[in-house]
Amino acid sequence: MFTNTIIDQKHNTRNQRMKICFTDLGLRFSLFSTIFVCFFVQIQAQTPNDANMMDKREACLLLAYTHGSFDQYWEGSKLRENQTIATVQRQTILGMAAIGVIDKLNLYVGLPYVKAESSEVTGGHLAGVSGLQDVLVGLKYQLINAQSSTGTFSLFPSITFSTPVSNYLSDYQPYSLGLGTSEINWRLMAHYKLNKGIYTTIGAVHVWRGYTEAERDYYYNNGSFYTATMDVPSAWNFEALVGSWLFKNKLRLEVNYSSLRSISGDDIRAYNAPQPTNKVHMDRVGAFGQYYFNPEGGFGIVASYNTIFQGRNAPKMTSLNLGITYQFGY
Amino acid sequence: MKMKRNLFNAIIAIGCLMFSSCEQDLPSYLSYSYTYSGVDADGGSWKPVLISSGAEIQIDAPADVNSAAYKEEISAAKTAIKNMTDAQRQNVTYWTNNPANRWNEIALELIAKYNLIPGPNADGTYTLPNAATPEGPPAFPFAHPPYAVRALAYLSVAQFDGLIAAWHYKYLYKRTAAYKNDNEIKFAYNDNDIPAYPSDAAVIANVSKDVLSVMFPLEKTYLERRAQEHLESILLAGGNVTSDIEAGKKIGSYVATKALARASTDGMRSAQTPKPVSDSIKTKAFERFGWAWDNLEIPARPVGLTPMFGKVKLWNVPNVEATRPIPPPAIGSEELKKDIEILKDYAANVTNERRRIANYWQDGLGTYTPPGHWNRFAKEFIIQYALNPLRTVRTYAYLNMSMMDGAISCWDTKYYYHFPRPINLIPGFKTIAGTPNFPAYTSGHSVFSSSGAEILAYVFPNEATKVRDWAKEAAISRVYGGIHWTFDATVGTEQGKAVASYTLAVARNDGAK
Repeated sequence: MFTNTIIDQKHNTRNQRMKICFTDLGLRFSLFSTIFVCFFVQIQAQTPNDANMMDKREACLLLAYTHGSFDQYWEGSKLRENQTIATVQRQTILGMAAIGVIDKLNLYVGLPYVKAESSEVTGGHLAGVSGLQDVLVGLKYQLINAQSSTGTFSLFPSITFSTPVSNYLSDYQPYSLGLGTSEINWRLMAHYKLNKGIYTTIGAVHVWRGYTEAERDYYYNNGSFYTATMDVPSAWNFEALVGSWLFKNKLRLEVNYSSLRSISGDDIRAYNAPQPTNKVHMDRVGAFGQYYFNPEGGFGIVASYNTIFQGRNAPKMTSLNLGITYQFGY
Repeated sequence: MKMKRNLFNAIIAIGCLMFSSCEQDLPSYLSYSYTYSGVDADGGSWKPVLISSGAEIQIDAPADVNSAAYKEEISAAKTAIKNMTDAQRQNVTYWTNNPANRWNEIALELIAKYNLIPGPNADGTYTLPNAATPEGPPAFPFAHPPYAVRALAYLSVAQFDGLIAAWHYKYLYKRTAAYKNDNEIKFAYNDNDIPAYPSDAAVIANVSKDVLSVMFPLEKTYLERRAQEHLESILLAGGNVTSDIEAGKKIGSYVATKALARASTDGMRSAQTPKPVSDSIKTKAFERFGWAWDNLEIPARPVGLTPMFGKVKLWNVPNVEATRPIPPPAIGSEELKKDIEILKDYAANVTNERRRIANYWQDGLGTYTPPGHWNRFAKEFIIQYALNPLRTVRTYAYLNMSMMDGAISCWDTKYYYHFPRPINLIPGFKTIAGTPNFPAYTSGHSVFSSSGAEILAYVFPNEATKVRDWAKEAAISRVYGGIHWTFDATVGTEQGKAVASYTLAVARNDGAK
């Protein structure tokens, strides 16, 4: 899953301009940005979490497919399997647009369709689910863009808002399409690129999450709750990546790390289903690549792979993402 | 509706964005405060369940309100009230003038905490909770619905008997409340004319702590702390002096002992059978009917849930055969084929309404179970109709005896007929609710709900239509969930009513008007 983001990048060294559309971040940090509180990953996007900007009167479209699956998960901090659910797979199709509104300000809009199910007959015989998840709207602003003889430093604040667009049930884990709550991501991202093409980005995100509605009006969260409303824990997300532009800026490759830490929440109880109130921690590593057929615009392809290697109340999920981008002026 | 809510959430979120915080207060118990609708001055003559009468327990006459001893107690109470901390003041508000509701909530919370099914070991075997080594793993108990309703039944029956005894002595000795004997004491709750000796709240504190400590042995320390906190609040509320409380505690301990003695020999200990016994029950059913239910989990659980719960001692039904229903439709019959089509149709067309109903009534693992759900309904009606403490525990006692008899009757039926679940008979079938580890016919939800609803319909006649509709919805919810046949639900509903009729016959003749 991924989020995505869009991007475009100005490669303005030596008057060469290059735009990159939808780059990865979405793909890169996706999970995290997304949330996943437990078992599922929302595609939510986060946003603009890339160090690239679309110019004014330019837009970029992304269509991407993600396949994620896991057959182990952390129950609290204990890694386990569960034949009641066996291997759970989540497939996502995401459509997204990035639009250069004015110079230095980009607007993002995205909507994912998710299908989640056990990939084989399981001990649980539980039905999977599919449907539209959460619509995302985001803004990213280039606050600093300072060039020196060796490279360029940029700083980007961004904000993304997402909210469910269908009546999917968040309290149906591990198959729930999403967390069923509105979410606001406040992000600050610092980017430094050497003129040679090597770059690094670090980012910090405060993920505010609201409440979700279950279809039962009692649940246990370290005590009784007589309500259908569940408090979905907010979280911090940290990201870091190193990458490089290659082949005359047609290709770039990155490796990345991302971590998510819920601020509150309860643990999944022994052999019990997760619920949206769970405290979710995840550490993930991934690789990302983007190829642009023509640096001036038109079609591009993005691909990424990532895996969660450590977690708490989280799936040990591995995801593969593939997408095409199209960039144009308007 | 849903879109509206999403829009609402979106607006809230944007609001939070601007103003930083929007924490909601999510209720973990029900707040209330009211004046009793009646005092039931004759309550001491009602027929209890386990003790012979309210007079069985010997409670000495209290000191006169004009005696030096009583005045000393009043003075000690005043000092304690004067030195009350904010935390103590909050406790007084929390425990209320009808604390059986609070102990019922505590029981439901422990049920939800312990309602966790043991998972498989690494080698594919299962270890069951053991009362002899409660720490586990897995921890004892697994508070599944039969365990839960049994715990609630003993709790409520002991509370009921205890308050009948309390009422007997209250109206025998007629010692008035502390705040009526000293106008410097202000009562924390709404005024009433029920005599104070012995304290009914102290009966409830002690009996609840004692019964729940045996049902949830790992919670002994926690329950002791809650009971101390409750007992302290009784004095601080201004209604009782220490001797009222001590007399109440004595009654509480006495009836708890009685209840726990019955519990220790009611057959629950043998309900979870070893595999050979479970296999022979299954073989018998197969020989009788030509079918048997199988657990389909991976790895398969060797024994279903409590195969011999049907042999546990009944409260009011004369024998378990009295409410055992007719056999289910035979495998291969037209009636079953029709049901298979209904189940397939529901699975292929999960409407919002059916999904909502399936989830609302699910009360599955990790929750307070269906009996817990009906106790919650009872509590809400008790408060709505302003029942006094005695009427309150009478309601819980008949409700939980009826539902426990319902569970015994239902489990007898389940293992007598051993009928397969939809996932056993429909290839590739998938459900939106988890399939439980016991045979299908009849549905536990159906029997619990109608055996409980009939009691609530009797105690709260204005709510009869509502609670009976709820019971029907709870029953069909299991069919919507894909885990029960329609006849599991409809026959189970009738079975629950039959069980309740025996409970009601007792209730109607216990002396309460």
